[in-house]
Amino acid sequence: MLNPIFDPDGPKIIVNCGSGGVGKTTLSAAMGLAGALAGKKTIVLTIDPAMRLADALGLSEFHADVQRVPLDKISSAAESSVGELYAMMLEPKRTFDELVTRYATPEISRKILNNRYYQHISNNMAGSNEYMAMEKLYETYHEGVYDLIVLDTPPTRRALDFLEAPQRLLNVLGHSFFWKLIKPYLKAGRWSLRMLNVMASPILRVVGQVIGRQALNDLIGFFQVWDEALYQGFNRRAEAVKALLGSDETLFFAIATPQRFPLQEAEFFWERLKANRMPFGGFIINRVHASIHDVPAPPIDQTAAQICPGAPVDSQLIEKILLNYRYIQRQAESDAASIRGLESRVAGLAGVKTIAAVEEEIIDLAGLLDLVGYLKE
Amino acid sequence: MSDGTAGKNNRDFLKLNADSQLAELFSRRLIFVMGKGGVGKTTISTALAIAAERMGKRVLLAEIGDSDAIGQIFINDTLPEAPLKIADRIWGARVNPKTELALYVRHHINSKFFANRITRSRLFDYLVAAAPGLREIMSLGRIWRWTQEAGSAEPFAYDLIIVDAPATGHALSLLRLPRVLIEMIRFGPIVKEVRELESVLRDPARTWLTLVTLAEELPTNEALQLYQAADADLGMPFKMIFINAVYPRVFTKPELERINDLKSFCRGNDTDASCLKLLEAADHLIRMRRRQQPYIDRIKSKTRGGGVEVPVYYTNHLSIGDIGDIASRMIRQMREQSEP
Repeated sequence: MLNPIFDPDGPKIIVNCGSGGVGKTTLSAAMGLAGALAGKKTIVLTIDPAMRLADALGLSEFHADVQRVPLDKISSAAESSVGELYAMMLEPKRTFDELVTRYATPEISRKILNNRYYQHISNNMAGSNEYMAMEKLYETYHEGVYDLIVLDTPPTRRALDFLEAPQRLLNVLGHSFFWKLIKPYLKAGRWSLRMLNVMASPILRVVGQVIGRQALNDLIGFFQVWDEALYQGFNRRAEAVKALLGSDETLFFAIATPQRFPLQEAEFFWERLKANRMPFGGFIINRVHASIHDVPAPPIDQTAAQICPGAPVDSQLIEKILLNYRYIQRQAESDAASIRGLESRVAGLAGVKTIAAVEEEIIDLAGLLDLVGYLKE
Repeated sequence: MSDGTAGKNNRDFLKLNADSQLAELFSRRLIFVMGKGGVGKTTISTALAIAAERMGKRVLLAEIGDSDAIGQIFINDTLPEAPLKIADRIWGARVNPKTELALYVRHHINSKFFANRITRSRLFDYLVAAAPGLREIMSLGRIWRWTQEAGSAEPFAYDLIIVDAPATGHALSLLRLPRVLIEMIRFGPIVKEVRELESVLRDPARTWLTLVTLAEELPTNEALQLYQAADADLGMPFKMIFINAVYPRVFTKPELERINDLKSFCRGNDTDASCLKLLEAADHLIRMRRRQQPYIDRIKSKTRGGGVEVPVYYTNHLSIGDIGDIASRMIRQMREQSEP
């Protein structure tokens, strides 16, 4: 399932999606390392990474410029030639500003960058993080410098957000219908916001009452410039990004844990990809509690004396040990049931890869290498 | 609110035992349960509702937007927008920002015909999506109106409303929203309502903010940042932090030594393999707890009330019974923690 990462003719882009807290960032770093170990010049694009991961990669911190991950300790030990690994942190607001500056004249850029409504959408409107992650991915791809780009998508509640949020944002920004409604009420002159004849339109009057005249002016001022200077450029760009994500240069992975919600989200995500005929690499189910393997489990109703005959131990301790064992076994069985359910639902259509829960946090490249080992298995 | 009063209140609060801590918590009108996605807000919200119910409270448990996790737990379906009785003294409801906005428009437009035309227009959908913070403020507005109903005789007379807050975006921006909106909109009927809403959110007699986190690096960092910023920048301190899915400290120190002895005994005496397997399970628990400990310590040292440890629950599909059990264990844990 994960061969495309190592395959020299594999896709150039790996996108990891999943709901929050499933370990996307660490897995993305491990996939990046795997790509580099296979000789590829690889970059991992990530948002909001843990300090510990930066430490593990030998970086003092992540920032928005490309950083090279030192692999010399690994390369000296490796048999084959090792590629290069780079990391870059996504900064959605900065990317958004750069896009505006690219498409608009300096005068108009300044107006947009200072508009309060723009500041709101570029900072925290739902979808702007995802949109800008796609944008950065597209930009990096077109630089043509890397053999493999691994994108760790922004943390969202829903796995689907990565696919849907940018379109929602574009719908909002590119709604010609809004213009039909407002244009008749705009008096002559560009940027003459207070010339907006709100009173002439009952609907706009209500809008003004609900969100306030000031906010309405900001909003309309933004859309006016957006429409004149940016809409076409952004839309063309968005179409190109969409085409790239749907091409065989890209492979999506759905990351989850065996818990109900993340697993459900991963499946929704997969179904959406299928419906849009987008390339799916498979499910990676992280933090799976393995039952304590290899030996048969002691039957639940056995007493301590039967299980550890002759062991010098008081019964109270053994009771605790037994109870704990049952809990841990229960978790393992629950995880196994979740995974069996997923496998039966996607059988023949998509791969499922499980990664065992580890007891130790990943604190260095060696830990990340162990994870690469799991991915290769 | 100044740091001084908040600090004093929290110091007093620390002296209380677990039961009075909960009694204090459940004497509010409104409890917000906040935190990053995936940390278990729904589990904690539901456990709190069950705990409050057991203390005789009538509880409204609310979730916001397209979340349907609470509905799935109680009725195996999405909750309706009007409160529905889902347990003896628990009602559940889902707040739909669009419905609230439609209500709002109807309230402020004299012509019914016109109000309907607007709320059915595409512009309206557009507006809900485009206007900054509108969805959130409309949701908060609904909750605020419920607090107005709370304690009244009919129709629902809740003592307490517990809100499973949305994880989307940063919780801090949700708390900042009323202030931002007041500055943006400046005047008009919505500002008046937002001001009232803000006064409820800021009033510790009526509202407590609680925070859920996990004993892992990113959730801990984010929770502590939020905790500090809410107090220092907003003057809206979090009153309780729940550390979810904590592996319990089951074994005493001497017992840990015995477990090690036992391992050597089993290896040396060629006992039944399942004996070693039991010990491995014990080791697993010990190592998982060790991994969490630095984060638990950090949370406890950096927050005034300390964190409430909520023990891990070993299944992926929590039932109401399971969450009731979590509530009991959470309370037991609080009692143990509050003992000197």
